Amino acid sequence: MPRGRSLLLAGVVVALAATIGSAWLHEMRPRSVVKPAAQTVSTSAERPPPRALTADEERFATALWAVHREATRSAVAMSFAGITYQTEGRDARALARKIEPLAKFFQDAEMRVRTMSPPPPLSNMHEQYVDAMALYANAAAEMLKFTEDGDSQRLHAAHRLDLRASEDMLRVGEVLWPGQYKPH
Amino acid sequence: MRKRALQIRLSAWTTVIAALLCLLGATAQAQQPICSAWLIESSRFMNVPFGAFMPDRTFVPGSTKPESNIPSVDLPVNIGVIKCGSELILYDTGWKQQDYLKMTGSDHWAPLADQLKVLGFNAADVTKVVIGHAHWDHAGQLSDLPNAVLYVQREELKAIEWALNYPEPHIRAINSDPGGCNRTPACGYMPLTMEEVYGKVLKGKAVIVDGETEILPGVRIHPAFRAHTAGSQLLEVPTSIGKLVFGSDAFSSYEGIRDWMTANVQQTDTVQQFLAYEKCYKITGGYSNCVAAHEPLSYTDKYPLTKNSWVALNGGRMAEIALAPGEKSRKP
Repeated sequence: MPRGRSLLLAGVVVALAATIGSAWLHEMRPRSVVKPAAQTVSTSAERPPPRALTADEERFATALWAVHREATRSAVAMSFAGITYQTEGRDARALARKIEPLAKFFQDAEMRVRTMSPPPPLSNMHEQYVDAMALYANAAAEMLKFTEDGDSQRLHAAHRLDLRASEDMLRVGEVLWPGQYKPH
Repeated sequence: MRKRALQIRLSAWTTVIAALLCLLGATAQAQQPICSAWLIESSRFMNVPFGAFMPDRTFVPGSTKPESNIPSVDLPVNIGVIKCGSELILYDTGWKQQDYLKMTGSDHWAPLADQLKVLGFNAADVTKVVIGHAHWDHAGQLSDLPNAVLYVQREELKAIEWALNYPEPHIRAINSDPGGCNRTPACGYMPLTMEEVYGKVLKGKAVIVDGETEILPGVRIHPAFRAHTAGSQLLEVPTSIGKLVFGSDAFSSYEGIRDWMTANVQQTDTVQQFLAYEKCYKITGGYSNCVAAHEPLSYTDKYPLTKNSWVALNGGRMAEIALAPGEKSRKP
């Protein structure tokens, strides 16, 4: 009987130790260090649906799309001119040959978009798009200067301009063409 | 007698050499790090028509067949987080939601840097990023990983540049609506994403990969050209549960790999996609350890590799796939 009691006692002690051990392990596990404040991105249920465009706005969006489709391609072509320069032999002349038509495209696009007349609610969008074209044109000009003087800081400056321009294009696109990028 | 002695000596030497080779092999295997792996859901594309994702599972109204009675699916955008010793590797980087890029129809997005913090990692500690391909929803957020070296296939870059210069405007188009691209060769390579790829190249933080390469002992990039895009690539990772193969959109669907069905056809040659599936079977010995980018069953028991999961930031999910010896669980 005393032996049975000792066994029972030992069992209780082991169970207690296991409980404490498991509680300790639970406490020691890495936890999320992100505060709830960071979880501010709303879910689609809370997000208002995008506003439908009026007929006038639709007409403006359609007219701008003709520029936008080619501007998007030209923007990516500019990134690729840089990638190819860095990875395929650093040929400054070849880089210039690729950038020259892009520089002209963005200068022309800036002028062309500037002359468009947006409906008043889209005037900010219009200005933003003009700015984006100007930023791309400036970036192209910086890259062309690099091909002349070899100052690599110009490439970094052009890269920063390109990033800003691509964000501006997305800002306009979010309103005018929200379906322009599909899940891929 | 002499001939017999010679034979014995020869076979003894053969045995010794074989034993040495075995020993060397075992040592090499022992030196291969065992990595830990997690999966994080960057966001979820909601209510995608099933047929747009898997053409052989197109919804047929009134059908009771399991392959045609589901109208739409929610597709996670999965990112692999891989820790091998002191190296922290990401496989794919999702995309970055902004006030200017909300992607109507997507949900549960959270910043990659915050998601890494949930796992106890810092974005600045990421040493390598392997992108399965360069589409906007897989190669975003690169500028938030300042110290990571990017691995991208030359074939991927060459194919995009080729498409950009194609004279026919539909073939060179980047964006979809209205009347733009639909699975055409340059479709889905957003300017911001490609400029971020260029940023890595410009800063000397990119490796342009030609085919197969080992980025760490046992951690191997395999080309899967045209399995989703021209320069798609897989990543083989040794873990305590066997080898994993991360497939990005070459492995868009786990069910697709299991049932030999094509999924997420974009710039895709379906034959090459099936060969990519086969590559996973060969490397891992089956389909269970193939890590899919958009499997709707992710983070559930129905995709067992990802079932050890939990809900993290903004409703996005995470899964702990495998832990290296000594690595503590990061599941809350």
